[in-house]
Amino acid sequence: MIAEQTLLEELKQTETQARAFEKLVNTYKERLYWHIRRIVLNHDDADDVLQNTFIKVYRNITNFKGDSKLYSWMYRIATNESLSFLKSKSKKMGVSSVALQETLLNNLESDVYFEGDEIQLKLQKAIATLPEKQKLVFNMKYFDEMKYEEISEVLETSVGALKASYHLASKKIESYIKEN
Amino acid sequence: MKAPNKNSGFRLPEDYLENFNDSLLNKIATSEESKIPNKEGFTVPKDYFDTLHKNISDKLEEKPTKVIAIQSYKKYYYSAIAAAIVLLFVGINLNKTVDYSIEDIANADIDSYIEYTDLNFSSYEIAEVVPIDNLDITDILDAGINEENIIDYLEDELDSFNEFNLDSYDY
Repeated sequence: MIAEQTLLEELKQTETQARAFEKLVNTYKERLYWHIRRIVLNHDDADDVLQNTFIKVYRNITNFKGDSKLYSWMYRIATNESLSFLKSKSKKMGVSSVALQETLLNNLESDVYFEGDEIQLKLQKAIATLPEKQKLVFNMKYFDEMKYEEISEVLETSVGALKASYHLASKKIESYIKEN
Repeated sequence: MKAPNKNSGFRLPEDYLENFNDSLLNKIATSEESKIPNKEGFTVPKDYFDTLHKNISDKLEEKPTKVIAIQSYKKYYYSAIAAAIVLLFVGINLNKTVDYSIEDIANADIDSYIEYTDLNFSSYEIAEVVPIDNLDITDILDAGINEENIIDYLEDELDSFNEFNLDSYDY
């Protein structure tokens, strides 16, 4: 993990900004990509959202107050961008968010950038049945292996509530996989 | 582990006790999560991450181009503003302008404005202007809510209600 404070100072100074931004992108691109991909499911959409996330980070870095960690702030932007993206996509397609999820999951089966087997596809279907917040908590805890304290900073939810959410999500996924 | 074995005749595999903790923890981990696969199957195009920074930088550089394009239309904007001011004065002087009220705006336009504009109102601010006391649940929902739906909702949205998450909830 790079020293956030140093990077932040470099990002705020014109002469070091470009180089620092490159460092920032290279450090966080994979983590943020996978976080976004798990929400939007499709690679092209994940790429769009990831680029927009970094562009927002770049343009708003001077407003970053440092109340939370830099990467928590970026995760928060990535999460909001992903959810807004899905919301506007469902509006453009004129379908509900549930119908959009179904379409995305169906597309996953023929997606060249999805090589999951039957059980992995089933897992994605199980995750799709979760309410939005539980879905985020499950992905961040299970796949990103983030600590509850870190998730708490990103989602601005108490650790206790996150634990309950994760527990419920795991149980629902387990029973979905068992029943289907 | 060379402790004498009182259960004469029984033997242990070599290093069994030394490795017991690790194998137990592994077993717990796999038995707890075995129903959920830990791989997802998502992949990315070749070299995607290598070219990402360049793609973002290219997008960031697109902005100045747009600014230059807008500059060249400046004179048209000034003309448009001037024309608008003239029309406004003519309209006022002739006293033929219609007084628009909220009723003149189509509901669809209001809906779309609220939906697509980041109004940044907090729940409290909205609550201050919405006459909650005069509202009935049927004003918002066509169908009634049954108890089962409420229980399902609470179960799904448990994390939104901190008071439900007691300290003893330690998983």
